[in-house]
Amino acid sequence: MTRIAYRQPEEMTEQARELTLKRGNLNVYRALANAEKVFTGWMVAGQAALASPVLPVRLREFVVLRTAYLMDSPYELGQHRDVARTAGLSRDEINAITSESAWQEADFSPVELAVLRLTTELLTTRTVSAELFDQVHTALGSEATVELLMVISRYAGLALMLNALDVDLDETARLPIPPRQASQ
Amino acid sequence: MSRIPLVSVEQQPEPMRQWMARRGNLKVFRLLANAPHVFPAWTQMVDELFESPTFSRRMREVVILRVAHLQGSRYELSQHVGIARNAGLTDQQINAILDTDHSDAAGFSDTERTALDVTTELCSTHRLRDDTFAAAQAVFGDEALTELLMIISCYYGLALVLNATDLDVDGTARFQP
Repeated sequence: MTRIAYRQPEEMTEQARELTLKRGNLNVYRALANAEKVFTGWMVAGQAALASPVLPVRLREFVVLRTAYLMDSPYELGQHRDVARTAGLSRDEINAITSESAWQEADFSPVELAVLRLTTELLTTRTVSAELFDQVHTALGSEATVELLMVISRYAGLALMLNALDVDLDETARLPIPPRQASQ
Repeated sequence: MSRIPLVSVEQQPEPMRQWMARRGNLKVFRLLANAPHVFPAWTQMVDELFESPTFSRRMREVVILRVAHLQGSRYELSQHVGIARNAGLTDQQINAILDTDHSDAAGFSDTERTALDVTTELCSTHRLRDDTFAAAQAVFGDEALTELLMIISCYYGLALVLNATDLDVDGTARFQP
């Protein structure tokens, strides 16, 4: 049971309400909306990350699932096992990413494996070896690498909030994958 | 040496140049500005966290320093020790927050102790026990407790970005809270 009362979309700022409804009116948003003086900015930041055309959705979901697994967030895992399916990941791929070590034997590309390794090393040791970092940076470039790190950052921080508030997984509502901004 | 090149402020669109003029010409901003699709929205989030009247500057810095310490973020500490001092924390209190066990330090209010307990338990175990949560909810109420979590979340996540990129600390530039 969620430890605090949910806010209703009608109680949010117009911008926050619009973003909450666009993103499926999920329990996570209605719980975090209790922080009404900072919730709108947090929603805006998330929307920008979801809408950016830079980091491929498939790679983003790799990072989100791995982060959710390592941060032990049942809510993020519950949402993103389904979001990842919509993004084209197979069930086997999702199971591998959300396991202790099966992902290392899975049929992923070298970049995907490097990204999973970086996420794992960062969340378990709080740092990354220079060699592994350079491998990801060389493959993705600076812009996508910074976006990737910000996805880890956001979902790791969010996992803490979800676990602290013990937010219940939504019964059926899932985060929609929004249309992306046109690539520049 | 930062593992990702920092963009120059002059290359930034006008709103971001103005934002950095207001908040400080920090390396972390020039790092994140590599991602122009997400950086401007991130600055809005930061503004709301620091403009909110819910917590005193001092309380915010207590939490930020504790997160920075637990995440091993040299960069966050380099910025926020000075800010914490300006916000009224003594050197003894700052050292206590940066110690393994903050509880024996004199001079923290009960509210600050509660915030430190929440921060320590959440960052170290990724969750809160029922009694820790109940104590914090009684002290802060739902709105302030959720906002406290937002501060922890922001600095916990940012520390990962800073550590991964091995960002050098700033010379004299300081964040303007």
